[in-house]
Amino acid sequence: PPETRSAARARTRSGPAPVTDVAKLCVCDLLVAQCDVNCCCDPDCSAADFSLFTTCSVPIVTGDSHLCSQKAAIYSLDVEANPPERIFKLIDQVNPSVFCIAATNYKQALSFSSPEMPTPENFDQLLEQFRSASFSAEPDSWPMNTDAQSSSDANETFRYEYGVPIQTADAFLRLPSPVVSSWCSDANPAGFLVNQATKCTRSVSVEKCGNIQAASMLFYINSSILAVSTVNITVQSIVVQSLNGMRTSLNGSDVLRLPMILDELCINIVLGVSYHITYTDTGEIIEAAASFVLGAINKEALSIQQSFEISFTQVNTKPVPLSGNPGYVVGLPLRAGFRPQGYPSPVEILFAALVLNTNKYSQLTILQSTSNQDCLAAQGARTPVLFGYNMISGCKLRITAAMKCQPLTQTLLDLLKGQNFPEYVASFGNSQAQDVLDWVPITHLHTSEQRIYNTFQSSCQIPVSLEIEVKWTKYGSLVNPQARIVNVTATITTTTAKQLPSGRERTIPITSSVVFTDISAPAEPGYKAWPTINFKLPFDFFFPFV
Amino acid sequence: NNSYQLSSLPLQLLFYVNGIYYIFYFVATLAMIIYKSQVFSYPDDFLAPDLALLFIMAILEVLRLYLGSMGNLTEEEAPLGLSLVITVGSVILSVYFLVWQTYVLKADVIINAVLLFTYGLESVLKVIAIAAFVS
Repeated sequence: PPETRSAARARTRSGPAPVTDVAKLCVCDLLVAQCDVNCCCDPDCSAADFSLFTTCSVPIVTGDSHLCSQKAAIYSLDVEANPPERIFKLIDQVNPSVFCIAATNYKQALSFSSPEMPTPENFDQLLEQFRSASFSAEPDSWPMNTDAQSSSDANETFRYEYGVPIQTADAFLRLPSPVVSSWCSDANPAGFLVNQATKCTRSVSVEKCGNIQAASMLFYINSSILAVSTVNITVQSIVVQSLNGMRTSLNGSDVLRLPMILDELCINIVLGVSYHITYTDTGEIIEAAASFVLGAINKEALSIQQSFEISFTQVNTKPVPLSGNPGYVVGLPLRAGFRPQGYPSPVEILFAALVLNTNKYSQLTILQSTSNQDCLAAQGARTPVLFGYNMISGCKLRITAAMKCQPLTQTLLDLLKGQNFPEYVASFGNSQAQDVLDWVPITHLHTSEQRIYNTFQSSCQIPVSLEIEVKWTKYGSLVNPQARIVNVTATITTTTAKQLPSGRERTIPITSSVVFTDISAPAEPGYKAWPTINFKLPFDFFFPFV
Repeated sequence: NNSYQLSSLPLQLLFYVNGIYYIFYFVATLAMIIYKSQVFSYPDDFLAPDLALLFIMAILEVLRLYLGSMGNLTEEEAPLGLSLVITVGSVILSVYFLVWQTYVLKADVIINAVLLFTYGLESVLKVIAIAAFVS
């Protein structure tokens, strides 16, 4: 019924009424419906309980002692009587001081005021009154602060650091990405030097062809990046994809192609954008280019999948994928190179410019196990060595009598080491090819499986296993240690292949493995020197006597 | 034998005593207001009227005593009448400090009661003196 509801609401709106009658006040009555020990004012206690008390914990309950005359409730135990009983007296206590309060015309003077209960009507006013920093509900104040900061040191903010969102004239450079579901969200800012590739779904339809902002080229290139000087996004290339998936590259790539309807199809819909940002080593963005893939949709299409990518290239360098900056990051491939004849410094073989992470030739690789486990049919499948990941792989080699020793040895060495086994491994993830000292040479060892030396050295020694041991250490500060490769050893183990009688064949396992060993020295604390007391008397301290 | 002297001697004595007592009253009330503001919760919008009325009362008192004394000594009824009218204002202010102050201490009650008694006695003597001057 509505009356009880409004009455209940009214009750909850005000706090409980304050108790001012001293006869009813009891501070030691803590347990509900139970007698508290030694609490003489507890109404839950019976006479039998009182007879067990030893003393009264609350002997007197009075009002404000500043008042000239006030009511007081006095509780005491009469221990003489048998059984002991509680004595309760209500008296008027008189304050003898001449400065006692005879009367007061200020109601809140002698008691705590009950706080105002928030209601929908007074909530805003209470929020204004009691709002402090923790309850500040104005997000508008934040962008104002950052604007003030950026205007005061305008030059410094436009040098970007790793991970900082790239700012454009109105907001941030957007890289649409899927958030909770696979639908595109345009709120993902691109971070400086953070290479990202995302794929997401966007809902489109032929009817809304010209109105879908996110499917038109203009949406992605009309913002200009704020750097030390404003950088406009240029169109690098346009690839047109037809309905059946065939892609053709367009020649005139400076023409803006907006979505339009042609033959019941909506063409020039953006299916993919690839941003390439060029930066200097001081963190300034100097160039931005976007490559587009445009496609077409027909009447039945309800959504398209868009893919976005952003990559960063330092100016005047060829893009080489780093495996860490500076220390190696677990999971990234080891960077390796070789010193070509006549060159004083190692040179990495570089793959085609902008494709990342497929630099097969500048990596250390090991044999990749295949499903048929036949070494000779492996056809050169290799997998790159990733930092921190111990790997073991292998295959089975079938030796027949017809195989000759020397070609077999060579085949196995090629199998184990691969085509371009490097000579140097980078000690840091970002070692540049010019710094010779940053590269660790690979040490080669040969061991033989047989412990006992055969006197017949002419028997065939075939390599059966390659073990690469990478020793690395933690380098740098204790809170952010960087992994640094110190030593790389490639051990080839050979075994004797006895000449088989014709017709017989033998299967031997071939293994290759990579092991990463942490040889970090334990961190040493560095203590500051003990302070010394520099105590010297002034020159003329004993003046009259010296 | 003072048939040719109409000035009232008891009234003049009372004026003199009133002056000295009022100085004490003013200092005591001010000190107690300061004490109350330190010990109790005395917000500014209650403190300001109390202090203002105390200073107004002091000004009125000075005026009242001067006019009354002058009127009595020059045997003029006009200043004495004016002093009587101002006495009404002083009485009202004294009642305020006795009853309607923010905090009324026992000491406040005592000194205000004495002041009111003095005012009452003065008023009676003034009326008698005015009657003597007029006739």
